[in-house]
Amino acid sequence: MIAAGSWGAAFTRAFITDHRYLAYLGGLKTTALISVFAIILGILIGLVVAVGKVSAKGNRKLWLIGVICNIYTTVIRGTPVMVQLLIIYNLIFTSRNTNEIVVGAVCFGINSGAYVAEIIRAGLESVDRGQMEAGRSLGFSYLQSMRLIIVPQAVKNILPALGNELITLIKETSVAGVIAVTDLTKAAQYVGSVTFDILTPLFIAALTYLVIVLILTRLLKALEGRMSRSDRY
Amino acid sequence: MIVTKSLKKSFNGIEVLKGIDQHIEKGEKVVIVGPSGSGKSTFLRCLNLLEVPTAGEVWFEGVNITSKECDINRLRQKMGMVFQQFNLFPHKTVRQNITMAPVTLGVMSQAEADKRAIELLTRVGLPEKADSYPRQLSGGQKQRVAIARALAMGPDVMLFDEPTSALDPEMVGEVLAIMRELAEEGMTMVVVTHEMSFAREVANRVLFMDDGQVKEENTPEEFFGNPKDARLQDFLSKVL
Repeated sequence: MIAAGSWGAAFTRAFITDHRYLAYLGGLKTTALISVFAIILGILIGLVVAVGKVSAKGNRKLWLIGVICNIYTTVIRGTPVMVQLLIIYNLIFTSRNTNEIVVGAVCFGINSGAYVAEIIRAGLESVDRGQMEAGRSLGFSYLQSMRLIIVPQAVKNILPALGNELITLIKETSVAGVIAVTDLTKAAQYVGSVTFDILTPLFIAALTYLVIVLILTRLLKALEGRMSRSDRY
Repeated sequence: MIVTKSLKKSFNGIEVLKGIDQHIEKGEKVVIVGPSGSGKSTFLRCLNLLEVPTAGEVWFEGVNITSKECDINRLRQKMGMVFQQFNLFPHKTVRQNITMAPVTLGVMSQAEADKRAIELLTRVGLPEKADSYPRQLSGGQKQRVAIARALAMGPDVMLFDEPTSALDPEMVGEVLAIMRELAEEGMTMVVVTHEMSFAREVANRVLFMDDGQVKEENTPEEFFGNPKDARLQDFLSKVL
């Protein structure tokens, strides 16, 4: 009883008193903004890089594009996101009036782009060669075959992985605090520093991340189910 | 209708076709047999440029399709192809598989293509499968749909790349029956197959390919009754 009571009191202090839930909400909003813009940017970059990689494979004249795309994915995937975040923040966005949320979104977008590129490339390449050949044999051009035959099938492989990438991204943005962005994690730390109870706000933040991830996982499952109509026997 | 002139193809420096000269006339049924790795599938795939030849020329209806100026997408519309692995589009229904190319490429309206699809499906004995997805079909049914899909573009020649090799034995017959009908209607056909009885009954001319070359070509009677090439005699003794 005492334990439950003190837990309740700790929660009240960490969440209710002085409208502290607003701090979490504000942090959550920042986390959501960074994640959404980052995934959009990541998909745009990833799409371009994936198409660059796939077409460079089939065409020797595009070798330079292939090399550039490979350097990008290798460097981004081979270095920690926290270091990338600090480098981009200090190196590129040195001007005083930069919006940290924009910096965060751009940085995580660039980071995510490398992973998305690999997801899209693998998705395109997972479609059987014979599908392209069948399309071409009917008289479709390369691009028509891509658009009508390859991409619709690749999307089924790409979308679940892309959803997982979004989930990973949301969790990764918790390091955004290092560039003075008040995201959900940072907000929890602030609350902790005010109430001198560091653990409870962090549990609240963790629970919030968990709930978001579970909701997204659910949505993803539903989406996959709808897309696999032609897979049914 | 199709002419190849010293057609050569190499993969990573390994020569798979070593100069093939062939004339395939309109209405002719040419069956190509030979051991695996002999280049027969590669030869067939060179005819519609799914494989780009390393050297030599392919002419189709008086056009050099190996030349840079040729609009290969247009010419492929007149060359139907049936694959060993069917290659139906799994995300489309049977009807959509058949109508997609003629509608998208502006050969027919959707209504015309739908009507044609049912005619073709009736012809291959599957009118009730129009709204099924490929995964709901057996192998033999898939291949019959694939034949209907290729015919929907109204091709002048049909290329068959081992159309029965991926089928269960009891389904081979239904596919061969449709190919026989097609042959009787006068379609020009080039068929790579291991079905010797089909070659014997349907072909005007049988080619034996080995080591990237046509080692022997003859009427089926002579080809099977009186083979001259030693390698062919050996091959026939094993498969017949």
